[in-house]
Amino acid sequence: MNSPRSCSRDFPGTVEAASDAEIWIANQASALGLGQEAEFAIGLCLEEVFLNAVKHGNANRATISMCAEPHGVIVEFADDGAPFDPTLAPAKRISGPTQDFDIGGYGAGLMQKFSRRMSYSRFEGMNRLVLEFDAGRNASPDSLSAP
Amino acid sequence: MDMKVIQDDGDIAHVVLDGRFDIQGAQEVDSRFDELAKSSKALIVDLAKVSFLASLGIRTLMLSAKTLIRSGGEMAVCGANESVEKVLRTTGFNEVAGIYPDYPSAAGALRERLGAFSTKKA
Repeated sequence: MNSPRSCSRDFPGTVEAASDAEIWIANQASALGLGQEAEFAIGLCLEEVFLNAVKHGNANRATISMCAEPHGVIVEFADDGAPFDPTLAPAKRISGPTQDFDIGGYGAGLMQKFSRRMSYSRFEGMNRLVLEFDAGRNASPDSLSAP
Repeated sequence: MDMKVIQDDGDIAHVVLDGRFDIQGAQEVDSRFDELAKSSKALIVDLAKVSFLASLGIRTLMLSAKTLIRSGGEMAVCGANESVEKVLRTTGFNEVAGIYPDYPSAAGALRERLGAFSTKKA
């Protein structure tokens, strides 16, 4: 089991694990002293990317790493699912009053809006998505450097 | 996530949510939302005590809005905090359901719209 100061954890590729990951992320963000906005943004983006990997990419496993830096938080999500680059996905939005709107598919737009920067690579059969966030005013980047 | 349903004056179902509208939260309320959307003319979802909203929670709200709109009903949300409202506006949810600061303003707007719709139909 990871200690509370650990910034990386492996998860199986299931919806239940995605839910567990949300709790872990919230606890981790709190331990890092991140502001509420940062915790919200990280949780939102990781729910999107985790569910995408499981439901559409058939991922069997995923790893989440968080690292606090002086001016932000770097979060890496790696999974062994089908190749998918969310940085290239269109930011879908309901564009006017209508009865015919999709009930899903808004994740890419949300991730673009709530993260500061996203970058994607495919390496040794793994998707690697790196997301950067503002840390918020309560950030305590030194907390990860402790053993 | 806690979900309370307060039947207003027969036309409007007032849903008060409390907690995180995450994967677990959405799974806990999904079927009740579905039933309400199918049986109500109008639905107002009070998000004042919702601290988090993401993929599956958005899906639950979108599905309810779609069900209501297709049957000639209306939906609105109220009381959302800044981050939750940002999520809703980023998806364009505000194009199909009203976003209001509190329940009285949402109820007033929905009653007006339902009244106008009834008059137009008659």
